[in-house]
Amino acid sequence: MALGKKGHELAVKVIRYIIILIFVVPMMLPLLWMLSTALKEGNMVFTNPPQWIPETFAWENFSKGLQTVKFWSRFVNTLFITVLCCIGQVLSCMCVGYAIGRIKFPGRKVWFYMIVGSMMLPGMVTLIPVFKIWSALGFVNSYVPLIVPAFLGSPFYTFMVRQFMTTIPRSYDEAARIDGASRLQILVRVIAPMCKPVMATIVVMQFQGSWNDYLAPLLYIIDNSKWTLAIGIAQMSNTNYGVQWNTLMAADVVYLLPMLILFFLAQDFFMQGLGSMNSAGVK
Amino acid sequence: MANTALAGSKKRKSNVKFWHREGFVGYMFMIPTLIGFTAFVAYPLVVSVYTAFTDWDGVNAPVWVGLKNFKYMFTEDPIFWKSMGVTFLYVIYTVPISLLLGMALAVLLNKNLPGIRIFRTLYYLPSITPAVAALVLWMFIYKSDTGLLNLILSNIGLPKVGWLTDEKIVLISLAIIKFWGVGSMMIVFLSGLQSVPVDVYEAADLDGANGWQKFWKITFPLITPIFFLQLITGLIGSFQAFNEAAIMTKGGPNNASWLLSYEIYQSAFINYKFGLATAEVWALFFVILVFTVIVFSKSEQYVYYENE
Repeated sequence: MALGKKGHELAVKVIRYIIILIFVVPMMLPLLWMLSTALKEGNMVFTNPPQWIPETFAWENFSKGLQTVKFWSRFVNTLFITVLCCIGQVLSCMCVGYAIGRIKFPGRKVWFYMIVGSMMLPGMVTLIPVFKIWSALGFVNSYVPLIVPAFLGSPFYTFMVRQFMTTIPRSYDEAARIDGASRLQILVRVIAPMCKPVMATIVVMQFQGSWNDYLAPLLYIIDNSKWTLAIGIAQMSNTNYGVQWNTLMAADVVYLLPMLILFFLAQDFFMQGLGSMNSAGVK
Repeated sequence: MANTALAGSKKRKSNVKFWHREGFVGYMFMIPTLIGFTAFVAYPLVVSVYTAFTDWDGVNAPVWVGLKNFKYMFTEDPIFWKSMGVTFLYVIYTVPISLLLGMALAVLLNKNLPGIRIFRTLYYLPSITPAVAALVLWMFIYKSDTGLLNLILSNIGLPKVGWLTDEKIVLISLAIIKFWGVGSMMIVFLSGLQSVPVDVYEAADLDGANGWQKFWKITFPLITPIFFLQLITGLIGSFQAFNEAAIMTKGGPNNASWLLSYEIYQSAFINYKFGLATAEVWALFFVILVFTVIVFSKSEQYVYYENE
């Protein structure tokens, strides 16, 4: 009977591994197909049966793909927007999150509900009026409409910061205050260093958001030379002259690489930061 | 003795002063939201109420036309109701399955087994893939004659499927892409599962609860806040899906993937009917609001908050 229990546990473990492996297949196949196509010569892309490992590796697809999509100039554009947005979100959301979470100012509750409320507000609702604001100010076809909003604190990240900060005991603030620190000093020297997980989470999510964003650059950026990678690659897949899938996939691979690197760098912090979302909910 | 009392009252005084200044300091820290909320939430909301009742080409001044946009939208526009139906179907296909799948995968991977970190990363990889990169990739996989999926189907003797060309299939094809990226939901559930304290399970083990009971009686109630948050954001996100239609299908075939956000985009930025587009936005907003309110009102019954 004792053996039976151990056997049972082992069986459960094996079954778990099998299920995990089964799900890995559909998750990974598309990405492997992307990589494999990126390395194929043009006439080998549509072989039947599908060829997973190219006979000859056509590395030149990468240089061709990057050239077609004008990769480097668009990479610089996209990176510029993305990095500034990340900085903006971290600065603004840390400030506002700190105020909402730890400073007892009058109207704090009301603002908290406003933030939660605007978190639920679909972006589509404000899209057209906001577009009109930027075009009235003459900022269409510049990066201003893509970057400035990031410095005004996304409600979602602010909420995340607030949730995370409520888990830090208030005695830290009080101790620092007795030492004569101002609120800003408390935030920068005491609280922010403890918030690394949530800051990393914001950076990863905002990086992903800006790097991926398709609609905003589509609306605001007109000049071909100012396009971002998302627009460039979407455009490349929509030509009328027959898509060169191998070079397109090569460009696609390079486009997703920075996201991959960032995720591996920030993985541990990122997971911790997400965990805080379970605490206290939206109350 | 007296000295300490004096020092104490002095301290209290400076305390009071400090907390008085808190109001000012608090609002200094709030500046980003004060500007952001006013310029990008409150003002646009007010303006778009007015815009919905006007004809506006985006260049000349808007002209008040009363209910014309709504009347056109609800009674004459050939595409609005179709688009609404398509959007509903897409939400129904994607949200419940993504939630359950994300949670199931999180539970599956929430076990300290050798190599588990690698599997977690592999499951998460698709959702790191930028939306445009993923859509372009799936366009290639879904190609009707030579795409990977149809090659596989025909090699195992099944008929080919018009993934993006059959109007009955196209929404399912788009939903599959969403399921492929379920890793982002999974990872949030996973982080929630890991914040559940281990000791609660020990008591259940003593009572002889099995895995299934433990999940629904202990684990699930503890992660309801995350479930709730994911349900809300999932609903809002799916109702606003845009990229799929814009990049992959152009709303086709036969408008079968003409999502509401795509319709709004077309009305506003292609046809320059900003008044009509805003009226459509309000219709979308209303639907989302109804769903959000329903979810919220039910949440009181099942969402568990630790601090209460």
